[in-house]
Order: sequence, then structure tokens, then C-alpha cells
Amino acid sequence: MTIARSPSLRSSRLWLMRAPLFAALWWVLAEGETRAWGVGAATVLAATAASVWLWPPSRAHLSPVGLLAFLAFFALQSLRGGFTVALLALRPRLRLRPGLRVLPLRLPPGAGRVLLADTLSLLPGTVSAGLCDDELHLHVLDQALVDDADLRAAEDRVARLFGLELAHA
Amino acid sequence: MAAIDWLSDALLLAGGAFFLAGTVGVVRFPDVYCRLHALAKVDNLGLGLVVLGLALRADSVTAVVKLSLIWLLALFASATVSYLIARRALRRGITPWSAERPAPPERAP
Repeated sequence: MTIARSPSLRSSRLWLMRAPLFAALWWVLAEGETRAWGVGAATVLAATAASVWLWPPSRAHLSPVGLLAFLAFFALQSLRGGFTVALLALRPRLRLRPGLRVLPLRLPPGAGRVLLADTLSLLPGTVSAGLCDDELHLHVLDQALVDDADLRAAEDRVARLFGLELAHA
Repeated sequence: MAAIDWLSDALLLAGGAFFLAGTVGVVRFPDVYCRLHALAKVDNLGLGLVVLGLALRADSVTAVVKLSLIWLLALFASATVSYLIARRALRRGITPWSAERPAPPERAP
């Protein structure tokens, strides 16, 4: 009995967690307008159904403290690197030392690796150019600007965000 | 009130400066990989500062959240697109430009 009930129980928990998020999103999109709640309710239901179908529950879950640490890290690194890249672009004599770098990943496969690749693409100085096997291929704009400690720090923040263990590499 | 307007102006101008620097980078950088760097930085910092500047002038909380969502979606699109372009370029064997090995001249004199 309990075994038969547990999948539907899990799915109703998902509905209860995600429907309010989509309702909040509708509220934002409608900018607080309340007259269109009929359309809104239908849209929220459809969005929740699609999300439960396409994104079933996974073991990884976000840690709120990890999220704050990640956002702070992302903002600081963006500003720090953004100025350097902007100066590189505007300097009268273009002096770049670009190159490829391979980062052996300590994160387990899954969402964590994708987020790390996306984060490094957005952070100034690195662009992700391929995830294969257990390595992330990166293009760096200036070899001198990027050291492994920065890349490891980003990996560390992603691991803490998802509550993941890093493998020893 | 005036202080907030000044801050908002400063953020909008700073965002504009990053858009300018990023555009100059797209024109001047030597190969596809380096140009991706310039583009991703514009989406992240340029749009981020503009959104922050606009959020300070927004009339309602929902408008602020909406602006932040626009930035987040642009970031996701930017990261995904630059990853796909860089990976495709690598797989097609496009060698990254390097200062030590300048590209050979295209035409013989």
C-alpha cells in the first residue's frame, strides 16, 4: 500500500512546491494585475504540469546559504574580471595571450557540471568550449589572467550550492 | 530621492560603458573564441548594470523582479549560446589565435 502510494505522494509534494512559484511568476508578469486571474490560474496549472513532467525530482537540492555564497562570488568575480576584459578591448595596442585550458572536473556528472560550464562562460576571461568525459575544455582570453585557483573556487561554490561532494583529483 | 536618481544614472552609464567596450572587443579581437569573451561579458555586466540602474527607478516590486528575470534569462541564453559556438568551433578544428603563432598572410605579395 505504502509502496503504491509513494510516487503519487511525491508528485503531489512537487505540485505543492512548484505551483506557488509559478503563481508568483504570473503575479510578476501581470505586474500585480488581478483581473486576469482566470487565465493566470490555467497558465499556472499548465506550467506546473509541464515542469513535473519535464523535470522530475532529483537528489540534488539547492542550499540557501550556498546560493547566497554563489551569488556573492559571481557578482564579485564578474566585476573584477569585467574591468580587466573591458580594458583589454579598449587598449590602443591589443595585447592578448589567449589559449586553451583543460580542467579535470571534481564535480559529479549532472546539473553541477552544466552550471559550472555556464558560470565560467559568463565570468570574464573564460569561455567553456566542451564538456567531455571528466574534463571541461575552456578558452581563456589571457593566460596570465586566469589561474587554476579561480577555476577551483568556482567549482567549490557550485558544489556548495548543490550540496555535492567534490572528488579528489 | 535625488541620490537614488544619481546612483541610477551612474549605473546606467557604467552599463553603457561595458556595452561599448564589449562592442569594441567584438570588432577588434582576433578570432571567434576571443569575440565570445567580449559578448558574454556584455550580457553579464553591461545588461546587469543597466537592469540595476532601471530597478532603482522602477514603480513597483513586480517591475524589479521582472527586470531581474529578464537579466537571468539573458544570462542563460548567453552562456548556452557561447558554449555551443565555442564547442562547435573546436570540433570543426578552428585553431585558436595565438600571439606566438600569428596567422599567416592571406595573400602572397
